[in-house]
Amino acid sequence: MSEFWQTALVLPLTTLADNVLAILPNVLAMIIIVTVGLITAWAAGQVTERLLRVIRVDHLCNRVGISAALLRGGVKADPSHLVGRLAYWVVAVFAVLAALGALNLQPINQFVQSLLAYIPHLLAAALILLTGYLLSNFVSQAALIAAVNAGLPPARAVATFSRWGVRLIAIAMGLEQLGIAQNIVVVGFGIAFGGVVMASAIAFGLGARDLAKEFLEQQFGRKGVHPKDDLTHL
Amino acid sequence: MKQSPTELTAETEAAVARIGEADLLVGVPSFNNAETIGHVVRAVSGGLAKYFPHAKAVLVNSDGGSSDRTLEAAANAVADLGAMLISDRQSLLHKIITPYHGIPGKGSAFRTIFEIARRLKAKACAVVDSDLRSITPEWVELLIRPVLEEGYDYVAPYYLRHKYDGTITNSIVYPLTRALYGERIRQPIGGDFGFSGRLAEHYLDKHVWESDVARFGIDIWMTTEAIASGARICQSFLGAKIHNPKDPAADLSSMLVQVMGAVFALMEEHHETWSKLEGSNPVRLFGFQYEVGVEPVNVNVDAMIGSFRQGLADLGPIWRAMLAPDTFESLKPLGDCPVQAFHLADDLWARLVYDVALGFHHHVMPREHLLKALTPLYLGRTASFVIETQGLTSREAETRIEALCRAFEKQKPYLVERWEERPAS
Repeated sequence: MSEFWQTALVLPLTTLADNVLAILPNVLAMIIIVTVGLITAWAAGQVTERLLRVIRVDHLCNRVGISAALLRGGVKADPSHLVGRLAYWVVAVFAVLAALGALNLQPINQFVQSLLAYIPHLLAAALILLTGYLLSNFVSQAALIAAVNAGLPPARAVATFSRWGVRLIAIAMGLEQLGIAQNIVVVGFGIAFGGVVMASAIAFGLGARDLAKEFLEQQFGRKGVHPKDDLTHL
Repeated sequence: MKQSPTELTAETEAAVARIGEADLLVGVPSFNNAETIGHVVRAVSGGLAKYFPHAKAVLVNSDGGSSDRTLEAAANAVADLGAMLISDRQSLLHKIITPYHGIPGKGSAFRTIFEIARRLKAKACAVVDSDLRSITPEWVELLIRPVLEEGYDYVAPYYLRHKYDGTITNSIVYPLTRALYGERIRQPIGGDFGFSGRLAEHYLDKHVWESDVARFGIDIWMTTEAIASGARICQSFLGAKIHNPKDPAADLSSMLVQVMGAVFALMEEHHETWSKLEGSNPVRLFGFQYEVGVEPVNVNVDAMIGSFRQGLADLGPIWRAMLAPDTFESLKPLGDCPVQAFHLADDLWARLVYDVALGFHHHVMPREHLLKALTPLYLGRTASFVIETQGLTSREAETRIEALCRAFEKQKPYLVERWEERPAS
């Protein structure tokens, strides 16, 4: 009878206890790593935010239009605060991944490895999108000023077209980096962009012959700001 | 820190060594000016022979790689001194025809001329444009004698101009330069100047020759640098300036970028000088002043006002970023007033120009965008000036420009107070 209790009850409990005791150090390590990681994440977030405020990143973001874009998207926080929060979450996520690694479980280790391998693509896509956004603002502002100075009535349309053209290119490149529907995005973008270019060329060349002639004469044959001006500026 | 000596070609070095020293030097920068340079060289030769017959003089043609026989035209041009009634002929006029090194532009041409003047120890020098059609031998005397005999270091030109000629100068560069540096130089970017050998050496020591100044800011740089360095400055009345249009298709906004970019960059460099000055002083004017009737100038005021109003409608966010809120709000009534009531007041224009200078200094946006966005504002101001002065003679219109200059001087504290302040985020 005692042998029965030994085999049916004590042995499984002992095995369970052994397993728990075996994994306990890993769990303890995981808890310590997560705790230290979260504290480090908090500190990193605070330091990052303060440093960015000291070097006036908010002023720079305001000047290049990032703050305005955030406001339009309903985000009222300063860019410094947002980057600080981002720093917090990056450190926190790494701490959690490291903590999961401490458990030393095969499926979890594989998941962590594939996530880490994806991070460079994520960063590259973020960089492409940010660069594309800033470039689109610069290009659209330049196009708007040039169109107004040339007296083109649809100046704002020209600027909007320029802005979204650059942004769509950046979005397509970003999605390609992330490996999301790569072929569809690239082909779709190519067809759409090519179609717009061809339609514009046909409209300009055939449908706006006279306007094209006048435009080219103004570009290559004009004598001043307006043909009827004799005024010299310098 | 002194600049390294300017590079000269071997032939030029040899010519300079042969000449040794000279009293006077006249420089003529050129690029594809075969049509006009002969006339300029003859006028300079005649002027040196007539007014400085005993001085050892050198004419330097500094060329930017002309492909149209400009060099031959300059080398072969000989003044008919008999026709000019010049009997007391001077010693041989030395000519140096040389290409210049450095980035393409008038500034590099001037650098070569200054270097030759330095090596020849020239006492008095002048530079004249190679596309002038109205230059006479008298120009040489008027640009050189104040330096040689009156002890001046810098002679700025004073041209007889139609009231609507040189509107960038009249509405921005002259009032701004006068208010900043306290000297009433009427045409600070004239293009034809006299200067002493001492000032030429001073110019050579500056580190501007690899910058945009060498491309298209050299005229305003020479004037500003002369004032800021404390040189003795005067003006000479040269009469009308008639020359080949430099670039008939030149884009106005590119002109503004070049000229105002140079002016604002110089403001940054000489802030310590101009921030302490108040008011302005008249600058002595040599030469016999006269007036002649000038051809009427057609001006399309409606197109200019249209450009301003399109700017107000489409560039609103950009103008808000580059101008003070009060300045921008003051422009709004001009959006829909009748044409004859279109008036951009002097005080408002002065504050506006100062706001743009502040925006340039504080990098509120890419500088080229800032300066190009100024174009419709400048056209609005020009239209306002034309409406105000229609029916006035050029002399009467000059009183309006004088009033504008006083407005710039009165508003200067506005600029000085805000120069060090960073704009709010």
